[in-house]
Amino acid sequence: MRRFGRPRAGRVGFFGSCVGLALVASLEGSARAYDFSIDLATIGQGYQVRGFAPTGADELLTRRRLTQVLNLSIFDIEPAAWHGDDADRTARNVLYFDANLRFDSDFGGYMTGRPLGADEIRELKQSQVDVLWAFVGGRRIGGRVDFQLGRQVHYDQLDFYAFDGADVLARINRLFAAEAFGGAEVRGELPLSSPIYELDGTSAGSRDPATRPAQNSQIRPLAGAAVVFGGDADAASPVQARLSYRRTWAGTADQLPGEPGSGVDDEKVGLTASGAIARRVFLTAGLRYNLLLASFDDEQVAVRVRATARQQVGLEMAYLAPSFDGDSIWNVFASGAYRDLRGSYELALDPGLKLYARGFARHYDAVDGDPTDVARWAGGGSAGAALRRRHGVVRLDGYFDGGFGGRKTGADLSARWEMRPRSLQLEGRLTGYEWKSDQQSATDKGVVFGVQAGGRFRLGEGTRLHLLIEDNFGSFYAAQYRGLAVLEVDASI
Amino acid sequence: MNAFSRILTIVTLALAAAVGGLAGWATAAPGPHPAAWSSNDGGASATPDAGVIAARPAVPPSPLIFPAQQIPLRFDHARHLKLGARCDTCHVSAPTSTSVSDNLVPAEAACRACHEIDRARPDKQVPAGSPAARCDACHLDEAGAPWMPSPASREPARVRLADPNLKFNHKLHVGRGVGCELCHGGVAMKALATRDDLPRMPLCLGCHDGKQTTNRCGACHVTEPDGRLRTNLASGATAATGLIEGTRPLTPSGVLRGFDAHGPDFGRHHEQAGKEERYCLSCHKRSECVDCHGGVVRPFDIHPSDYVSLHGNDARRNTPDCSSCHRTQSFCVGCHQRTGVAPDATGGQLGAQARNPFGTGTQLKAFHPPGWVNEGGATSGHSQQARRNIRTCVSCHREESCLACHSADPARGGGVSPHGPAFAGTARCRALSSRNKRACLKCHAVSAPELDCE
Repeated sequence: MRRFGRPRAGRVGFFGSCVGLALVASLEGSARAYDFSIDLATIGQGYQVRGFAPTGADELLTRRRLTQVLNLSIFDIEPAAWHGDDADRTARNVLYFDANLRFDSDFGGYMTGRPLGADEIRELKQSQVDVLWAFVGGRRIGGRVDFQLGRQVHYDQLDFYAFDGADVLARINRLFAAEAFGGAEVRGELPLSSPIYELDGTSAGSRDPATRPAQNSQIRPLAGAAVVFGGDADAASPVQARLSYRRTWAGTADQLPGEPGSGVDDEKVGLTASGAIARRVFLTAGLRYNLLLASFDDEQVAVRVRATARQQVGLEMAYLAPSFDGDSIWNVFASGAYRDLRGSYELALDPGLKLYARGFARHYDAVDGDPTDVARWAGGGSAGAALRRRHGVVRLDGYFDGGFGGRKTGADLSARWEMRPRSLQLEGRLTGYEWKSDQQSATDKGVVFGVQAGGRFRLGEGTRLHLLIEDNFGSFYAAQYRGLAVLEVDASI
Repeated sequence: MNAFSRILTIVTLALAAAVGGLAGWATAAPGPHPAAWSSNDGGASATPDAGVIAARPAVPPSPLIFPAQQIPLRFDHARHLKLGARCDTCHVSAPTSTSVSDNLVPAEAACRACHEIDRARPDKQVPAGSPAARCDACHLDEAGAPWMPSPASREPARVRLADPNLKFNHKLHVGRGVGCELCHGGVAMKALATRDDLPRMPLCLGCHDGKQTTNRCGACHVTEPDGRLRTNLASGATAATGLIEGTRPLTPSGVLRGFDAHGPDFGRHHEQAGKEERYCLSCHKRSECVDCHGGVVRPFDIHPSDYVSLHGNDARRNTPDCSSCHRTQSFCVGCHQRTGVAPDATGGQLGAQARNPFGTGTQLKAFHPPGWVNEGGATSGHSQQARRNIRTCVSCHREESCLACHSADPARGGGVSPHGPAFAGTARCRALSSRNKRACLKCHAVSAPELDCE
């Protein structure tokens, strides 16, 4: 039964969007042209990946990837009779369609000898086809309602999340809006679906019965709601707040007697708020409560001050505790949280010179009061300068991190220069860094130098070619090459 | 998390929502504040603090909003106004203009109302005190010198103005009682008016505050067909001027929301700004987010070259946050399996770990230090690391790696409890058990009494 359910669930968003699009289009009695935009990108990559042969010796695996991305947007697909403007001349009753498809293929020695058959995992498949999103959307329907129907991706204090379903936002008045959404979570095990917004915790490819591998293929209903304060996002509003809730759950696969019929995979409440004082001091804070763990797992407080017209100072405090998919045992294992104190400074100098610096200090909580828990600090910082001129920019960055995790010290010098206005841009980058692990400091350390050079060429109206080559050398390699070619085509009619 | 930081967070939330909001609304009364958008030009045009109605701001306006122009003329607004001219005496069509494309610069015919210009007599003299009629009284050549017709230069240099990258309706504003001087007041004290004297966004926000009238960005800024703001703007590369070539992005300078300032480091650090999806999408395509957060090609300034060598350090520290772009159990596991790092390089079979040559205790390449797994049951290195950042572990291991020792199932052996002291009585235990017992059942039997968290 589930085998029938899986493809249906995976395609429901995509086909829902297509059906919706067709319905809307059918409302118009005669044929008409629509504004649309197509962004096509063909990305070719060839590079070498450091690996370990079965003998334990270092080896370089060659990897060649060909990726094609299609982003299609169609605007104003509503019947012309629906057109109208609000009092502030905002278009209302607007319908549109937006879709993003990705086709990714892998070649080269990297793919030879990979696990196959029952052991094959999605990330090592020769080809992957993903519909990242495909939905019909509406803006200011009746002057008040926005909606999206189909596969969609969102992000807020609760995280990135993707689902097949519907999202509706209604403006209650000038200050408040309410949002509700529901559908089925997008999971990597479903057809045409990428796992990139799936929670970590349960891994495809497991064949240990105790981990209940069939659970990965279950459909996961998702529902949530939010209250938004501060008017429209597309407005110069000095204060915004959002309180949101989301829950994802799933029925139990291969259920045995005595086992629960369903379980929660994710349930969180998030609150964010930001405000401005005299347009010089900006405050923002975010708080996330994980009902699955009965604890706050993400808290952030930040202030940014425009000290003068050319100086900005920022200070942030953050607390983050690890959390995973509710089906994972790691919600029990991972109990150590950390808190960060971060600072930043930016100074704009004429003409076109900006200096910036950033630093952080991190403290790890002692896990479960363990007295032997050591290396509880980490810290580091970076500083840089960017010089922008009419035809290009030169940038120098330096950084240092130390403490838990190891040490790294390095610098980048990069430049981009417009040789021919709008048609030829050259770029390059020099990298050098030293690193050392704090865990295996005798063997896990190295020095790397890298050189990149490339260019962006305008081949015609809306058509660009980006070429880049890279060579790295240092402790591990005499040479390690990487090549990138991106052909982009943008068409808007 | 301790009580102090929790209280701090909540207090800041309240401050941000209440005090900040009230202050923000209160200060949104008509008046100046810094410019809100820059041209991403490294500060050359960013954030003037001035902006008073009648004063000229210290920094020129962004060329993206008001492209460069060429006005080879001599003119004195102050003098003309003193002589009794009104704005609409010369700018006749301004009060009825509905588009920024309308040319509101007076043509020669408007000057002729007072200046007795005679093209056949370029050096025409007029009585003292009368308006000048010579060509060079007003016209300048390309070099800025007074211009007179000559065999080499029969036509004066042209006034070249490019359309501002804005929407503006003079007629609408005049109809609502907005006088010329509110936006162009400084001109009354000036000679020639240039783009430097055009009103800036702070002035606009004095009225466009969401109360007196709309504060929606798209009310004034040019929008794309999909409703987003147009940010890739030609800075004057038009046939009208030909003065500046190319396009540049229009970016927030941080005055409106602070954290949205697109400085040089914004691409790597936009955690705070990135929480407001709808705000970001008012300028960006959704695909721009996904190109980095889940794309197949990272921007080349996110990680240094040969990041594969270094990434282990950052992954253990989780700085930068790997999960903002990568899902550990798909992205990381795939590569680790293929490159021979993962213990189950041949797949997920039970016992596959034994075939991996790089685990603890081997001489080939020990990924974990000695004492990593203490089979005596005492606290060991791996438990601290796992509790602190288990994502690093799961970039190679699956749950079955843990179950090998930590399962309560006697058939598996081990039986090492991963729970901290007094876990059974905690809210965490009760929440996990009540919301999803499936996770518990991976180690515990269905009928096990410990599932009741007592």
